[in-house]
Amino acid sequence: MSGASQNVDISFEAISSSTNGDGGVPHGELLSKLSEALWSKNLNELDAVREELINAAGADVFVDAVGVSAMFHMMTRIADGTGTPLDAGTDEPSADIRETIGVNHLVSRRQSAP
Amino acid sequence: MSTYATELPIRPELDAAHGDLATRWAAPSHSWSSKQRLSVIAEVRSAIDADELAPWEAPSSIKGFIANNHCLPDAAIDVIWRLTNHPGTLTKDWYESIISRNIDAVAYVELIGLVAQANCVDRFADGLGVKRVDLPDPIATKTAVTSELEVSVTTHWVPTAAIKGPNVLKALSAVPFENESREILSSVQYVPAAALIGDLASDHNSLTRLQIELIAARTSKLNECFY
Repeated sequence: MSGASQNVDISFEAISSSTNGDGGVPHGELLSKLSEALWSKNLNELDAVREELINAAGADVFVDAVGVSAMFHMMTRIADGTGTPLDAGTDEPSADIRETIGVNHLVSRRQSAP
Repeated sequence: MSTYATELPIRPELDAAHGDLATRWAAPSHSWSSKQRLSVIAEVRSAIDADELAPWEAPSSIKGFIANNHCLPDAAIDVIWRLTNHPGTLTKDWYESIISRNIDAVAYVELIGLVAQANCVDRFADGLGVKRVDLPDPIATKTAVTSELEVSVTTHWVPTAAIKGPNVLKALSAVPFENESREILSSVQYVPAAALIGDLASDHNSLTRLQIELIAARTSKLNECFY
């Protein structure tokens, strides 16, 4: 939706893996790699992507990107710790995207009652 | 005084927000004492740093894992470890099993809020390679204020208040203090509430909205979060 509102061509594959390119997002591959390194707590990977991202985009981008990823370590735990269901009315419009990024099989799948 | 000592360009409002969070963690609630709330944060740190237990291995099921004099109930420690290391594996049956072990549903919501915040703040520090936020000393008094908020189980496993907005912003609504803490972090690390749905185009800080949403989605997928 964010891409559509900015009239830019994006794809959702970068959400599935950093090996799928940048998804049309500036530094998308590096940002995806950074998210993976933060999640895995792999310090070697983190050091490498930190250096690469700072060189490519700047230290402020690195800091803010870590901030966003950390934020979603919080939001996912809030959603899954409280049994938060998908919002009513978003199920059908998001069906294709969910298929593309491969989340339909997740244990955490919860939909609103019709 | 800065919360973090680093040459990295951490925005002042983000630095201050993490300092505020540490102070809020020490604030006693109706459900948990200051010492217990700070113990939750310390236990999250242990869970992040330890070799992970498998999702089916609850700390309370491992002999000697939990100290006899721990100030938190065993069920709370089981929640902390499972939510920290395997958030995508939780089920409604698991939630109900926790509640059946004398954890009040509103106290559970507060616990989820604290664990989630600690995962955010500490993973930020770990990601930057800086020292985690210092925890304050516990506050001795316990608040006598009982929330008069009307909550009920409607859309989520947990009771929620009747507030408007996306379901995830309603998730902690039974404990407004923790919902405020979530919003404090969201406004400095993600986007302000007003921009959450109404403005999908504006850049925030050094990132474009597209970059922000890519990181958000990739991190959510890694945590196996359907929402």
